[in-house]
Amino acid sequence: MTTIPAGGPVIRVRGLTKRYGDVQAVDGIDFDVAKGEIFGLLGPNGAGKTTTVEILEGLRQPDGGQVSVLGVDVSHDADAIKPRIGVSLQTAALYPKLTVTELIDLFRSFYPTSRSTKEVMDALELGERHDARSQDLSGGQRQRLAVALSLVNDPELVFLDEPTTGLDPAARRSLWDIVEGLKADGRSVLLTTHYMEEAEILCDRLAIMDHGRILEMGTVEQLVSKHFQERTVRFDRLDGLAREELERLPEVTSVKEDTNEVLMYTKDPGRTIGALLDLADSRGLEPQNLGIRRATLEDVFLDLTGRALRD
Amino acid sequence: MTPLLALTRANIRSYTRDRAALFWTLAFPLIFIFMFGFIFQGGNQSQLKLGWVDQDASPAATQLRQAFAAQTGTELTDAPKDDALAKMRQGDVDAVIVVPVGYGEGVTAGAAGSGGPTSILVFTDPSRSNLVASVYQAVGAVLGVVNLGGRPPLVVPQAETLQTENLTFISYFVPSMLGLSVMQVGIFAAIPLVADREKLILKRLAATPLKRWQLVGSNVLMRLLIALVQTVIIVGVGVAAFHVEITGSLLLALAFVALGAMAFLALGYVIASFAKTEEAANGMTSVVQFPMMFLSGTFFPIAAMPDFLQTVARLIPLTYLADALRQVMVGGAAFAPLYVCAAVLLAWLVGCFFVASRTFRWQ
Repeated sequence: MTTIPAGGPVIRVRGLTKRYGDVQAVDGIDFDVAKGEIFGLLGPNGAGKTTTVEILEGLRQPDGGQVSVLGVDVSHDADAIKPRIGVSLQTAALYPKLTVTELIDLFRSFYPTSRSTKEVMDALELGERHDARSQDLSGGQRQRLAVALSLVNDPELVFLDEPTTGLDPAARRSLWDIVEGLKADGRSVLLTTHYMEEAEILCDRLAIMDHGRILEMGTVEQLVSKHFQERTVRFDRLDGLAREELERLPEVTSVKEDTNEVLMYTKDPGRTIGALLDLADSRGLEPQNLGIRRATLEDVFLDLTGRALRD
Repeated sequence: MTPLLALTRANIRSYTRDRAALFWTLAFPLIFIFMFGFIFQGGNQSQLKLGWVDQDASPAATQLRQAFAAQTGTELTDAPKDDALAKMRQGDVDAVIVVPVGYGEGVTAGAAGSGGPTSILVFTDPSRSNLVASVYQAVGAVLGVVNLGGRPPLVVPQAETLQTENLTFISYFVPSMLGLSVMQVGIFAAIPLVADREKLILKRLAATPLKRWQLVGSNVLMRLLIALVQTVIIVGVGVAAFHVEITGSLLLALAFVALGAMAFLALGYVIASFAKTEEAANGMTSVVQFPMMFLSGTFFPIAAMPDFLQTVARLIPLTYLADALRQVMVGGAAFAPLYVCAAVLLAWLVGCFFVASRTFRWQ
């Protein structure tokens, strides 16, 4: 076991591969997670995010590559990191008939040192439901409890696999606050998500994954500016304007369409919109919900993979 | 609290909050015992059946017979001694009274003040102590009249014992039902195991420092505790409600209960190794438990089954658990010696443990 110097990465992955039968789930990825940062793995279902995280948690053996977590080679000494990490799986894995307090107490017993039940419960705002069985909790409360269980051992590094999938917007926001609180406490976080908004709001840095590979990595700022110097002009999809015509409008560098909307990437939104409205007017058409926005992660993903990352 | 004990306590809580599990492991055997207990209780309980052997053929002996016959609830069957004892062994009569040669003369001499009291022989099976009590109650009532309070008494009973082979149905059924319940508590473990795997609970636990032996150990502890509770309840009801006589060592019975519970728990792990979903685990436990239930001699003796089914019975672990429990608890006829029963259960435990340790999937 080698200890990394202070300030070194808490996670270091090099050339990681994992195959299930015919499927290459993880296909040679490299990344580092720095101490105290929230790092996101963003990608659609089946991109290899969960497999990657489970290898880092010591739950699966990699086929190839090096994986070091908190300075420990996980593929050889997974037991050494388990007391120091917190884990929340894709679904809240809770004994359905045990109460909130009982589950926290149970998980506390697994660790040599642990925070008090009350402290964990208060931090996750579960106090008023301490006597409820986990099967009777709402989706958001279950997820908060799952995160609470990952924090009983006061971990240095927390893995959150799709922490907000299936939650309503309010519950999602409440969980985002909790994740930001983890960072404020000085913990490092690796989270996976397929929500662009979540990645943009929470992650200091992120890696975009698809088909087991990392397509791009960096801060949201870096990813967006690397792919798009332009602004985006968008409007609801409109029959009667051909894509080729839109591409010929002034300053337009590219056009993307899906079933709902049209996106025009442009260096000068003002000129482009003027020309667009003239063209539409000459056909007796009016673009709906016309707007200008900066490119987002969504645009980056679309640009990288040619498909949208919506559910 | 250590992880092992904390997880055991969590398991027990989950179990006691699961009504279906409680029903199958605790209520179900009791329902069976009450149902069969009442069906088979019949009238033989109220009627005391005595084998009557008159070797003296004196008027005094005939008088004594009339006195016994006059007791309400007593039915006499005359037979030579060997026949009478054979009937008792088979359970056709509850006890045998032998009036020996010289009884008449002895009584006459005693009445004249010369010589001591004359004996009659009373054969009972000490393992059926309730029956023994009613026999001696009848004997006492009759001899009280014959002796007319004279001191010393003219006639005294001389206690003889005879081991009977035939158990009452309920005495046979209660240990069998205990065996069946222990089997269920073991193999039914497959269902929550598969459910926990499906819910990713096993995977979540694997991400903590908890060791697998602690996970398995907590399951063993919980199942042993349930088996102990089952034993107390089933034996308690058998004794209290149906007057089942526990003749042997309860400790030895408990040792077999524990061995059986662990063997069947190992079988439960094997089932959980092959079942991918909770529904599949449900189906597979049924497929395993029903043949065992009906072919292991739980409801009727193996000796009464056709030869080919007896061969099947020999392969079933429950056969040996139920057989051992009947031998130990109520002195039931042995299908296999106790050490063979223990060896077979141990072999199933080791075999299933081996298979499960190679095939059980934790994730």
